Amino acid sequence: MSALFPKWMNALPTLGAGAAFFGLIGVVWATWYWATPDYTRVGYMPTQPGTGFNHQLHAGQLGIDCRYCHTNVERSPEANIPNVATCMGCHAEERLRNWDIHRVGFIREAYAEDRSVEWRRIHKLPDYVRNFPHDAHVKAGVSCFSCHGQIMGMPVVYQAEGLHMGWCLDCHRNPEKHMVPPDKVTDLVWVETEWLARPIAGRNYNGVTPQQLVDSLRRSPPQTCGACHH
Amino acid sequence: MSAMHPDRITAERLAGLAPGVAAIQDAPTGDGTLVEDPAVRAPLVLNNRSIHDVTEIVCGYCEKPPPGKWWLPAFCVASTFAAVGMLMILYLIITGIGTWGLNNQVGWAWDITNFVFWIGIGHAGTLISAILCLFKQKWRTAVNRSAEAMTIFAVMCAGIFPAIHVGRIWFIWMVFPIPNYNWIWPNFRSPLLWDVFAVSTYFTVSLLFWYMGMIPDFATLRDRADRRLRRGQSARVRLQAPGPVKFSVELPIVADRIRALVYGLLAVGWRFSSRHWHRYENAYLILAGISTPLVLSVHSIVSFDFATSILPGWHTTIFPPYFVAGAIFGGFAMVLLLLIPARELYPNFKDLLTLRHLENMAKILLVTGMMVGFAYAMEFFIAWYGANEYELYAFINRASGPYWWAYWTMITCNVVSPQLFWSRAMRTNPVVIWIVALLVTIGMWFERFVIIVTSLHRAFLPGEWHMFFPTWVDILIFTGSLGIFVSMFMLFMRFLPQFPMAEVKAVMPQADPHGHNAHHNGGGH
Repeated sequence: MSALFPKWMNALPTLGAGAAFFGLIGVVWATWYWATPDYTRVGYMPTQPGTGFNHQLHAGQLGIDCRYCHTNVERSPEANIPNVATCMGCHAEERLRNWDIHRVGFIREAYAEDRSVEWRRIHKLPDYVRNFPHDAHVKAGVSCFSCHGQIMGMPVVYQAEGLHMGWCLDCHRNPEKHMVPPDKVTDLVWVETEWLARPIAGRNYNGVTPQQLVDSLRRSPPQTCGACHH
Repeated sequence: MSAMHPDRITAERLAGLAPGVAAIQDAPTGDGTLVEDPAVRAPLVLNNRSIHDVTEIVCGYCEKPPPGKWWLPAFCVASTFAAVGMLMILYLIITGIGTWGLNNQVGWAWDITNFVFWIGIGHAGTLISAILCLFKQKWRTAVNRSAEAMTIFAVMCAGIFPAIHVGRIWFIWMVFPIPNYNWIWPNFRSPLLWDVFAVSTYFTVSLLFWYMGMIPDFATLRDRADRRLRRGQSARVRLQAPGPVKFSVELPIVADRIRALVYGLLAVGWRFSSRHWHRYENAYLILAGISTPLVLSVHSIVSFDFATSILPGWHTTIFPPYFVAGAIFGGFAMVLLLLIPARELYPNFKDLLTLRHLENMAKILLVTGMMVGFAYAMEFFIAWYGANEYELYAFINRASGPYWWAYWTMITCNVVSPQLFWSRAMRTNPVVIWIVALLVTIGMWFERFVIIVTSLHRAFLPGEWHMFFPTWVDILIFTGSLGIFVSMFMLFMRFLPQFPMAEVKAVMPQADPHGHNAHHNGGGH
């Protein structure tokens, strides 16, 4: 019979199998790289109102404790954004020096007009894990650094971690990796350079080891669905 | 005589048409296949067809539209139902599961009923193609191709329902154990996950079986189209206006060219060499071996969806064999439901699918119908014998509670109606068989409805008691799945080989001219 198909088509099954194999690997790799929060969320750095809030200056150079502004972080699931009055505690008009006035003018105006500054939220969780309990984590000894990165070095805050569920579970399954002594939770520079920079076995703070910190928890980190999705 | 095809000469000689040779077929009853003498093999192909005739008949179904103007209107009706069903699925996905009649107590209703119904339908195809193949039941050759096609389409319809019942269909990938950024796996201890593996394995193996069986037939269709092309016998496609309008237009398309390409691609280079046949036979046997446990495992695992729960009415050890028997029962009913009209509508179909075939399948309906009847009785017996008041209540509530009509529809259709087939006259009457098959199909749908809804609607506390009422979305999605099934089966009947030509030819007398048939008739060696 006549040839219905040209001879080169005999190579198609082999080529097709090869293309399918490498195509599959390509799809898996592309999904892993581009379609995960480590790519889509990390580095999110929205422009804040006014001149923004310089964490590097306030928390880093001036050494203001995180809890001075985020007052409820030890008591409430929500680590609150400070209200304008908190800013005005330092930046009240009589205390402002002349060169500062254009930087904090928007705070002063908001205070005068009795309205809030609309800071833009950076760390967003889906609504089905909305009540992330900051209090439980801070009290258990998870440093701010583990989730938010080195805030004390950020002139403009950005998202440092993916905040995806596998990332949560990684710590819940191996809590000793991120547990710090309770009085060092907000000491981000110490946490980064003195604690997390060392291997787990080498971490020791006045005789306290990561394993002791884990053992001291009243309840081991939950891994059930209902712990977060309730 | 020299101009005659050698097959025809053999056929005529064996049929007694050639001088000096006795006919091999004595036809005491009916269409000649219903011989009762156990020493005489019933012929599986009638009217002394030659091997070439079989090719002409089977290829003719793919190459020409069926006689009469029923195909296109019927297809339009079926595909309209399918389209409406798909629109309803879209509506369901956009709006949510609340468009179904589900409530707090009855969380599974028509969705899972339809899933189990369709999965069960498929079992006849697997049984015919795998188990009957291993047992060398030659009569399977007339029904296996269409039963396998039916299996594929039924499993496709079945797959729709668990997928849409999850509500957020974009998360359906989570049923597969795919490494993911949530670092979680499906629950490997859940039968719902086993179901995913069972059904996807079943679909893959059935599809391979069906497709591989068609490869030689595709090659025949390819060669016929190619030969017509080379002889200049191919015409262009002409579109005729419907009804009384006198208008037609010739398209610049030659159907045979498309056939040669499409069937040629599907035939993947099959050249009828004996090496091809040798590998084909081996592969067929291996697939039959793989499929055989699937006949039993798939519906067993579907039954685990219910049996591993602790709900009275579901928590029953009899479920796996009971479900398998029910699946084969419902599957054969669907085969008969489809093929009996096809016998009437397609020319020469009755030569290949004889009354003997229908009778065999009617006997299977009778046997499996009594198996499910036994299971229904056993459920009640164990509910009483087990002395668990909740279990007993669940079953008494089935038969006499608010869904009594569904229960007794099931009993009437599944247990009572097949009893007609004790009568030989009934099981050789295609109209009776078709009506019983229809009743059984209805009854098997109600069986799943009864198992699911009557068990769920009254749980342990009266405060949890709710009735289930379907909404129009429930109904239209179900009729949509029927439409999808019928549309696909009609496309299969129109464009794919409905019979495995090589296998049908192998059970014809010409394939065995010196076999015992000739000997029995005194033809001599």
